[in-house]
Amino acid sequence: MTAARHAPPLVAIFLLSASALAYEVLLVRLFSIIHWHHFAFMVISLALLGYGVSGSLIMLFRSFWLRHFTGVFFLNILLFGISSVGVFVIIQHLPFNALEILWDPSQWLRLLLTYLFLSLPFLFVANTIALTMLRFDLQIARIYSADLIGAGAGAIGIMLLLSVFEPPTVLRLLAFAGLSAGVVVLRQTRRQLAAALALAVVASGILLLPASWLELRLSDYKGLVQTLRIDGARLVESHSGPVSRVDVVENSQVPFRNAPGLSLQSPEGPSGQLAVFSDGDAMTTIDRHSVQSSPGYMAYMSSALPYHLGREFERVLVLNAGTGADILQAAAFDSRHIDAVEPDSQLTRLVSETFADYSGWQHLRGQVELHSTTARAWAARADRPYELVVIGVPGASSGGAAGVYAFSANFDFTVEALKSYLGLLKPGGYLSITLWTDTPPKGSLRLFAAMVEALRESGVTSPGKRLAWIRSWNTATLLVKNGELNSGEIAAIRNFSGSRSFDLAWLPGIAEDEVNRYQLLPRSFFFMAAKAILSGQGESYMKSYQYDIEPVRDVNPYFDDHFRWNSLSTFLALPGGSGIAMIGAGYPTLVVTLLQAMFAALLLILAPLFFLRRKLHSDGNLRIRVFAYFTAIGLAFLFIELSFIEMLTLVIGQPLYAVAVTLSVFLVFSGLGSLTVQWLVESKGLDPAVLLRWSVLSILLVTLVYLLSHSWLIEHLMALPTALRILMAILLSMPIAFVMGMPFPVGLTATSRTAPELLPWAWGINGCASVLSAILAVLLAMEIGFTGVMLCAMLFYLLAWRTLPRKRLT
Amino acid sequence: MQIKLSTLFLISLFSLAPAITGAAGDESREDPWADARAGMIAEIEKDVRDTSELINRGGFNRPVMDAMKTVPRHEFVPESQRQKAYENRPLPIGRGQTISQPYIVALMTDLLEPQPGHRVLEIGTGSGYQAAILSRLVSQVYSMEIIAELANESRQRVQRLGYENITIRALDGYNGWPDEAPFDSIIVTAAISHIPPPLVTQLKPGGRMVIPVGTRFHTQYLTLVEKDLDGRVTTRQLIPVIFVPFTGGHQ
Repeated sequence: MTAARHAPPLVAIFLLSASALAYEVLLVRLFSIIHWHHFAFMVISLALLGYGVSGSLIMLFRSFWLRHFTGVFFLNILLFGISSVGVFVIIQHLPFNALEILWDPSQWLRLLLTYLFLSLPFLFVANTIALTMLRFDLQIARIYSADLIGAGAGAIGIMLLLSVFEPPTVLRLLAFAGLSAGVVVLRQTRRQLAAALALAVVASGILLLPASWLELRLSDYKGLVQTLRIDGARLVESHSGPVSRVDVVENSQVPFRNAPGLSLQSPEGPSGQLAVFSDGDAMTTIDRHSVQSSPGYMAYMSSALPYHLGREFERVLVLNAGTGADILQAAAFDSRHIDAVEPDSQLTRLVSETFADYSGWQHLRGQVELHSTTARAWAARADRPYELVVIGVPGASSGGAAGVYAFSANFDFTVEALKSYLGLLKPGGYLSITLWTDTPPKGSLRLFAAMVEALRESGVTSPGKRLAWIRSWNTATLLVKNGELNSGEIAAIRNFSGSRSFDLAWLPGIAEDEVNRYQLLPRSFFFMAAKAILSGQGESYMKSYQYDIEPVRDVNPYFDDHFRWNSLSTFLALPGGSGIAMIGAGYPTLVVTLLQAMFAALLLILAPLFFLRRKLHSDGNLRIRVFAYFTAIGLAFLFIELSFIEMLTLVIGQPLYAVAVTLSVFLVFSGLGSLTVQWLVESKGLDPAVLLRWSVLSILLVTLVYLLSHSWLIEHLMALPTALRILMAILLSMPIAFVMGMPFPVGLTATSRTAPELLPWAWGINGCASVLSAILAVLLAMEIGFTGVMLCAMLFYLLAWRTLPRKRLT
Repeated sequence: MQIKLSTLFLISLFSLAPAITGAAGDESREDPWADARAGMIAEIEKDVRDTSELINRGGFNRPVMDAMKTVPRHEFVPESQRQKAYENRPLPIGRGQTISQPYIVALMTDLLEPQPGHRVLEIGTGSGYQAAILSRLVSQVYSMEIIAELANESRQRVQRLGYENITIRALDGYNGWPDEAPFDSIIVTAAISHIPPPLVTQLKPGGRMVIPVGTRFHTQYLTLVEKDLDGRVTTRQLIPVIFVPFTGGHQ
């Protein structure tokens, strides 16, 4: 105990922080598999309020907990170990159905219970850190650095763990990692034997927990679960990675037949396929290799348009190849060489290795070259042009309503992206993009608008002469030529569409009576949009459209977000509430998450003030300063961190590496920044206020430089080889992360000198602000782009500069 | 042809009428669910009035509403959901299946324009509720369910409830039911990436196919496939369909 009095348990803090961050990432994985990604985001965001709860609790029980520091510290470690696994087991038994939430009010109660349970592990870890800071208040910055560096290690560690082990195993491992902090502090506890015994009991309990308790119980409504209920269905492959879980299902009795946009005139459908599920949903398929020479049903999909223009292709590029449907289509039409690009190599491995016999890959091997990277990275680096570039439809989700992916950044269809794809085309070459359509259409219209913008920015004066747009019952294919479409091609497109009952949406020289003939929409949305956009009326058309269909750019890459506040009242005013289904799930989920988090945060921040109103000596002004300061830096830190991660994802070209690398670089270097604060305050006797001024100035300067140069930087970095891109991303993150690690420990040090009783409160406020920040950053990025988010962060840092808790004048 | 069809319809209606009114009359005396069912009907009628512009009809055909009045929806949901059986909302019925919102069932049925002599194919039996409604309106319902145990349960249920003109088969619906084709109308309640070519083939000229699109709990729009007398096939999309959250029950 004597040792503990002088040295904070830094190793234990490191281990606990690493475990907690890893646990957070793991939960996102688990909930994405069990439910859906947008739901996972909401649940985990709210659960992180455990950090805020910790601040309030410590404030209330401060003196008792400090008197029994080691015991309480150790107990919290044990509780983290128990709860990390325990709450997951409990939550899996809560009969919660995310899809039913708008119908059944009782689901909200179950959701609340989910939040409460899930916040526990975070609460226990937060308790250990905040208590240590309180106990060793002269070493706050050092403790915070151990916390951050631990979290940085956790970010890399969880990716490695998820690459090797299945999520339930990782869950146990993380509980052990947390408990190992207990082993580290064991010698400092008063009753070592009892503590060791408790650790051993908890650890063996977790080890001996039946595997079935941790088995993932996927929502009954996920595609995978539904598919496996069908007679003859057999799971032939299941593999979990850090990005997604992939399951492959075979059914010899009831073959899969997935053919998005197949013509009503098609004499046949697919003969049989393997179904591939990502996170138990978003089904795509692998076609069984057929020896017949004709492309069969593939010739009757809207995506087959470029192959019916009287040409065979020498070099074809398939972007976002997934499980290879578009590769097989290109091969079926005798394309000589196919480059296929897919960032998730798990998917391409299925078609080229695991199920190579099924897909007949041996016949394609000489023809197809696979590249594991993003469409953007490939477009920036490809050295030879193509005659045809293809992007096909993504997997179909059975779960969420439209807009589930609304808040996932998607850099594949930004104006910059389209320009880079157009740049890959040989003169006379085609770019063909097929998307699912919705009714009323959203994504397809946005793609068209973005394409016109990209063409105009590439110097094309009459984009309409290069574009052809057709649609089936549920897909739309947009074809762009590097050059003007000639009469032969126009006739071929008419013929292709007409013979397959596809509707023309745009074609040079199209007449109004040619559209909306076979797949009747209440209005000819597609043609009207095309006409308006091409005739210079695009802006007013898009403004008056009920959904946001304006082109997105790299700074606000939310291609799937179509929510518009202006339309909300219109939708809600539709008879009988029928408009609610029209709004989409993504954006409202974010808003609801934010509202819930704000409510909870406010409660957590105000509650201790209420309960301790007689005991608090600090004046109101100081409290306002503490509140403003820690809210400001909590919001600002994640604003910048998240903006950097999104932008560097684009640079690195591998979302997984990007998140792991940038997150850990950010955390580790912020940790080092914090350590420097400790050194400067301790050894150099520097005033926190001076330190703050310098760190804020540096943050503002670095952010400004980045804001001014980001487009240039990204464009030039993307063309570098992978290793160099990662290195550059690290070098770019380091300086900003380093200085951003300073304001929090500076503020805590200042608070502990002025009003030590408010220290846990400050910790809690920062925890709450961080949760709000992650949600707000996405909402803001949708509206004002990442550059706007970073500008806001700069303002918050300026606010922090003005509100550093100062010594009382009395 | 038009006159002939409507005459046939009238005759059949007369022949069915005593059965329907008789059943309804009996139920109102003994059936403890009668009030709840009446509440559900009132709510559907209100929804139809509210959405009449959007769905392009002033109301559903009388026989459709009569069928909705007669079929005991509570028999098609699990015990745990019985109290909610007559709420105008979709309900989970286990195994990841749902029973559709009554308003949607009525709308889809109405869109099929069922006639007493019709033979209807249903893909996706589920609980059998939609088939039961259709069975009150047409001569024969052929229903296919891909999940065998669900098909067996529904078969037993419709037999127990005395719906004799429903045949349920545990089979993949993609290839339709060639032995009994062609059909006057087809209803597809399964999620599909494309409209299966065999179903288009098995639809009679002049026939209609209805496909709801969306998730199991939120139908976003309905696709109506029409095959004209020359065999030309078109689709038509109806938006938006109603969605009424937080409506109270009518038990």
